[in-house]
Amino acid sequence: MSEPLLALDGIEAGYGRAALVLRGLSVHVPPSTIVCLVGPNGAGKSTVLKVASGMLQPRAGAIRVAGDDVTGRTPQQMLAAGLAHVLQGHSVFPEMTVEENVRLGAYTVRDQAVVEERVARVQEIFPIVGDRWRQLAGLLSGGQQKQVEFARSLMMEPKVVLLDEPSMGLDPKTTATVFEQIVRMRDHGTAVLLVEQNARRALEAADVGCVLDLGRVHISGPAPELLADPELSRLYLGGRPAGV
Amino acid sequence: MSSALLLQSLILGILLGGLYALLASGLTLYFGVMRVVMIAHSAFLILAGYLAWFFTVQTGLDPMISLLITVPLFFGIGVLMQRLLITRLKPASLTMMSVLLTFAIALVIEGMLGFTFTGVQRRIRLDYGASSIEVLGAQVAVVKLVAFGLAALALGSLWFVLKKTSFGQALRATIQHKEAAELVGIDTAKVASYGFGLGLATAAVGGTALALDATIYPSLHWHWIGPLMAIIVVGGLGSIPGAAVAAMLLGVTQSLLQVPLGTTWAQTVFYVALFVTLMVRPQGFFGGRLAQRF
Repeated sequence: MSEPLLALDGIEAGYGRAALVLRGLSVHVPPSTIVCLVGPNGAGKSTVLKVASGMLQPRAGAIRVAGDDVTGRTPQQMLAAGLAHVLQGHSVFPEMTVEENVRLGAYTVRDQAVVEERVARVQEIFPIVGDRWRQLAGLLSGGQQKQVEFARSLMMEPKVVLLDEPSMGLDPKTTATVFEQIVRMRDHGTAVLLVEQNARRALEAADVGCVLDLGRVHISGPAPELLADPELSRLYLGGRPAGV
Repeated sequence: MSSALLLQSLILGILLGGLYALLASGLTLYFGVMRVVMIAHSAFLILAGYLAWFFTVQTGLDPMISLLITVPLFFGIGVLMQRLLITRLKPASLTMMSVLLTFAIALVIEGMLGFTFTGVQRRIRLDYGASSIEVLGAQVAVVKLVAFGLAALALGSLWFVLKKTSFGQALRATIQHKEAAELVGIDTAKVASYGFGLGLATAAVGGTALALDATIYPSLHWHWIGPLMAIIVVGGLGSIPGAAVAAMLLGVTQSLLQVPLGTTWAQTVFYVALFVTLMVRPQGFFGGRLAQRF
C-alpha cells in the first residue's frame, strides 16, 4: 500500500487537567480515500480532528502528512502542510457573501491567478456555490452552507479534508446531497477523514471505517465489511444489521 | 413647532448622528472582535480632544492637523493595550473583567488630564468657530458641518478598510466566526490587536471632531460613555452598520426632542432606547444575524 497522506500514530490527547480523551489512537488516511470514524458519544471522534488540524496539541504520538512529521504545529502550519478542517455545525462567515467566504479559504495565497483558478475549480465541484455566489452565506440553507464550507476548505488544495459531523442538523435528503459532495471531493483527488454520528449513512459513503471506543481505534476495515458485520451493527450502528 | 425650526433640528440631528456614529463605531468594534467592553473609549475621545486643543494652542495650526500624530499614536496604543493588557484576561471572564480594566484606564486618563492640563474648561478657538451658513433655509454652524465631514470621512475609511482590504476581510471573519477564521489561516491574535488599534484610531478622529465644537474638561468622558453604550446595544453589539443606524436615529430623535423638552431631558432618549431594546430585543435592532449569537 502507498504511503498514507495523513498518519496519526499513538496519539494521546485531552483537555486541561481532565482525563485523556485519546489513548494511543492510530489512524491512517491513504490517498483518494474516505476514512470514516464512528463510535459512541465521547469516544473522542471530534478530538481526533482537532489534533490533526493543530487546534489541540497531542501529549504523545506523531502526526505525519505525506511522510513529513508535522507534530506540534499550529493550525496555520497544518493548513499549509495540507490539512483543512471543516468544523461541526455552521461555520460559514454569515454576514459575508459566498464569494467572500470561498475566497477567504485562500487567505494565505497571495497569487491572484492561483486564487482564480481554484475558484473556478470549486465552482465546478460544487455548482450550488457558483449559483449563490453573491448571496450572504448566512441566508443559505444548512446543506448549502455546508457546501460553501467544503468549497472554502478546498481553496487551499489540501491533501486531506477533515470533516466534523457534516450531516449534523440536516434532514435526510440534504444529508444525502452532502454525502454525494463528499464522494465528489474524493473523486476530485482529495482524501477525507470523516467523523460522523450518523454512522450507517457515513459508512455507506466511506471506503474505510474505524470504530472508536475509549480513545482508541477498536476495529477498522473496509467500510462495506463493517456495515455487514452483525455484531458491529448491534453495538455501534444503531441495532439494525446492514440492508434493513 | 414651526417648520423652519423642525428643519433646523432635523439637520442638526443628522450632523449630530454622524458624529455619534463615529464615536460609537470603535466601541462596537472592540466588542465585535474581542468581546471587550471598552469603558475607556470615551476617555480616549477626550484625550484626543485635549491633544487637538494643545496642538492648536502650541502651533496655531488647525486642530485637524493633529490627527496626523494622534491617529497613528492611538492605533499604536490600541495594539499595545490589547497585547499587554487585554490578552492577560481569562477568556472565560473576559467581558466582565474588561469592564474593570478599562474603567481603571479611564480613571488614569482622566487623572492625567487633570494633572497635566488642570480641570479648567478648554475650548479650541477656530477662525470659522462663529460662522454659519444656510443649508436648505436653516442656519447651520460651519464647525458642525466640518465635524460631520470628518466623521463621515473617518467612517467611510473604516468601511473601506473593513470591506475592501485583506485585513478587513480577516477582521470581519474573526468577528463572525473566530475558529473558522483560524482554520483558513488567519492569525486571529494579530487581527484582534490591530482591530483594537483601529477602534482606538477612530477615537482619535472622533475626539478631535468632538472638540471642534465642544468645551472639554477631564471628566467629560463620563457624560459620553452612557449614550455611546446605549447606541451600540440598540444597534446590536459588534455591528458597525447597526451602530451607525442607531446613532443616526438617536441623534435625530435627541435633536428633535430638544425643542419641546430641553437639552437635559432630550438626553434621556438614549436610556429609554436602551431599556426598550433590552426588554423587547436584547440582541439589538440592526445587528442582524451576527448579533443574535451574543
